[in-house]
Amino acid sequence: MKVQQLVPRAEEVELDDILAGLRDISGGTLSPLAPEILEFCANFSRALFKDAEAKKFPELQALAFWMRKSELERLRQEFDRLKTKNTLPVPRGLVFHVPPANVDTIFMYSWIMSVLVGNRNILRISPRAAQQTTIICKVFNECLEAAGDVMRRNTVMIRYGHEQEITAAISAVADVRVIWGGDASVNNIRAVRIPPHCKELAFPDRYSLSVARTARYLALDEAKRKEVAAQFYNDTYWFDQMACSSPRLLIWCGEREESSKASAMFLQDLHEEVQRRGYTLDASGSMNKFTFLSRAILDQPVASTRRVDNQLTVAQLENIRHLDRDHCGGGFLFQYYAEGIDVLGQVVARKDQTLTYFGFEPAEMAALAKLLNGRGIDRIVPMGKALTFNRYWDGYDLMAEMIRHVYVE
Amino acid sequence: MKFDDLLKLPQYSLPYAEKERILLDGLNELDEHHRRNCPEYNRLVSVLWPDYRKAETLADLPYLAVGLFKSHRLCSIPKENIFKTLTSSGTTGQAVSQIFLDVETAQRQSAALSRIMTHTLGPNRLPMILVESSALLKDRARFSARAAGVLGMMTFGRDHFYALDEKMELDEKGLQAFLEKVNGKPFFMFGFTFMIWQYLYQRIADRSVDLSQGIMVHGGGWKKLQELAVSNDEFKRKLREKTGLSRIYNFYGLVEQVGSIYVEGENGYLFAPNYADVIVRDPLTWEPAPMGTPGVLQVLSLLPLSYPGHSVLTEDLGIIHGIDDAAGGRFGKYFSVLGRIPKAELRGCSDVHASQVSG
Repeated sequence: MKVQQLVPRAEEVELDDILAGLRDISGGTLSPLAPEILEFCANFSRALFKDAEAKKFPELQALAFWMRKSELERLRQEFDRLKTKNTLPVPRGLVFHVPPANVDTIFMYSWIMSVLVGNRNILRISPRAAQQTTIICKVFNECLEAAGDVMRRNTVMIRYGHEQEITAAISAVADVRVIWGGDASVNNIRAVRIPPHCKELAFPDRYSLSVARTARYLALDEAKRKEVAAQFYNDTYWFDQMACSSPRLLIWCGEREESSKASAMFLQDLHEEVQRRGYTLDASGSMNKFTFLSRAILDQPVASTRRVDNQLTVAQLENIRHLDRDHCGGGFLFQYYAEGIDVLGQVVARKDQTLTYFGFEPAEMAALAKLLNGRGIDRIVPMGKALTFNRYWDGYDLMAEMIRHVYVE
Repeated sequence: MKFDDLLKLPQYSLPYAEKERILLDGLNELDEHHRRNCPEYNRLVSVLWPDYRKAETLADLPYLAVGLFKSHRLCSIPKENIFKTLTSSGTTGQAVSQIFLDVETAQRQSAALSRIMTHTLGPNRLPMILVESSALLKDRARFSARAAGVLGMMTFGRDHFYALDEKMELDEKGLQAFLEKVNGKPFFMFGFTFMIWQYLYQRIADRSVDLSQGIMVHGGGWKKLQELAVSNDEFKRKLREKTGLSRIYNFYGLVEQVGSIYVEGENGYLFAPNYADVIVRDPLTWEPAPMGTPGVLQVLSLLPLSYPGHSVLTEDLGIIHGIDDAAGGRFGKYFSVLGRIPKAELRGCSDVHASQVSG
């Protein structure tokens, strides 16, 4: 079966040959955090920073920043802490990554976590993938030319649609399978068998929300308020509010009148930020949003709505006990006024992933996490960091998930 | 002026300023009626337009997103008064619109349609070719919008001939017999745009079939023909070239507003009938777009009493070309439909967006 290979070279290749190549370890394998891995990643980061096309995409700049040398060094130190007196972390083997079609950098984060600890990798790239993916593959291949033999044979990226036989052939030789792309993708791919020893990481549909402490917000000066709006903008609009960690509900904690005042100021600033950044929705997104808003009014306790403009729609909820987590994206915010953060105890569910906060102390957030005791919420980060990837994602420690511990006594 | 008086007026005879006044009164009444009788409509208006009392212009009227008829039961009459339920012909697995009719609304629809059609067809019922399969009407239990459309149109013709068999094959012998029987006199042809192209035109393009005495009315949308890169102009040109058919009228209508259809005039644009109007809205602001600027079509109709469909924001793009100044002397707005809003792909972690509008 021929497939379209993108990395290490753009060409049509026989799938069996690719898989045979990945399984052939006679040329040696990479040990976790081996110098050639770190060197390749650092080179890739530099090349991506410098690439003229990549400069146009903030998410590619964020990726390059994330893979910079100092960050890799920090990860190396973290990795060392996974060792114990009697255990030695080793790679799991061949990792099959199935990233989503629409967030064009996730596949690289998925890959880094795996390659850093020495795994070999095969990635499925969707035919719907955008220009950002093409740029990444181009830069990746250029960097591979300077890399050593083992590194060059470590990673293959292929492009295909939903052909089950390709997924099945790769799955049959995988030691780890990583499925991104939401509930539908997870269910589809999960129907394809993996070897008994193979482990699977799945990233289903998630929901994210944000809390702000009203009193602290009102105490800010104008410049600081604008900063908050800019951070909230980044969290929300970067991927059309469809990234799983982008907030869709904003809860103000404080006295109701005060919260209403804070909200008005905040929405004004956010609106200005949206305009300043030139975010626009097309007709389809706009129509979708209007229909979603109408349905929300009919099906949920929406007390009022504010269509600040088409790029920012706000629906004020009267209660959030039975929060419907369906969402249309594109700048649609549910808002709720609560007395305090305790309200989250009534709301949080398994599906909830990221809680961004403003005006609370990390210790208060830790106490909240303890109170929730695993019912939901996998990340609690300050506003502005909703999309910042790290090794802890969706409740997994990705670095730890990608290794095996050999016990030696 | 009441609806009944409006029916008696010749189509397209009202100067826009006068028509606007009549429609405004009627639609304000309908809005009140539906707010009183349809709790969902009332809730939507009171939340989306909290300060709204009454419209001063047609553009002030509240409007419903057409997709709501797919997800919600929107009805302004008690259950026992439902006389007929129309459903849109969605493909399997897709949500379909549900439209609830009482006797009065159904009567208004057919009366309105009749006035519109006689304007195009003349007062006499003509022999009629249906570019349809006779099997379509056999299953009366599942009353699709397509079947309803065909049934509605049948009343404007006589001696009906179904041009297609159950396998959508053209009945060529039957067609010849029909043409011999009408013997050079005018006849009426009706069908869905795509079916006419695929199952009639494609079959007879290389034969010499004379349809020059026909008056063709067709609708149902251009989506499939756009995929084949066949425009309205091309559709007309080809049919005329190969069959001599020159009187071809496209129409635009929604199952959410049956009866209120917009038929092409001689200048190739769609015209709003006496009891209906269109507004084009800028999807970036939802404000009315200036004339000549494309946007999302909102359709207004005086017909719907039993369901709140008197002001519907469609998912179609259109453009208004003029008011009261069409060649041929028709009054009112004339416009064209540019097709469905192209579906954009939002970005995001999930490959399938559950809440994206279907259809």
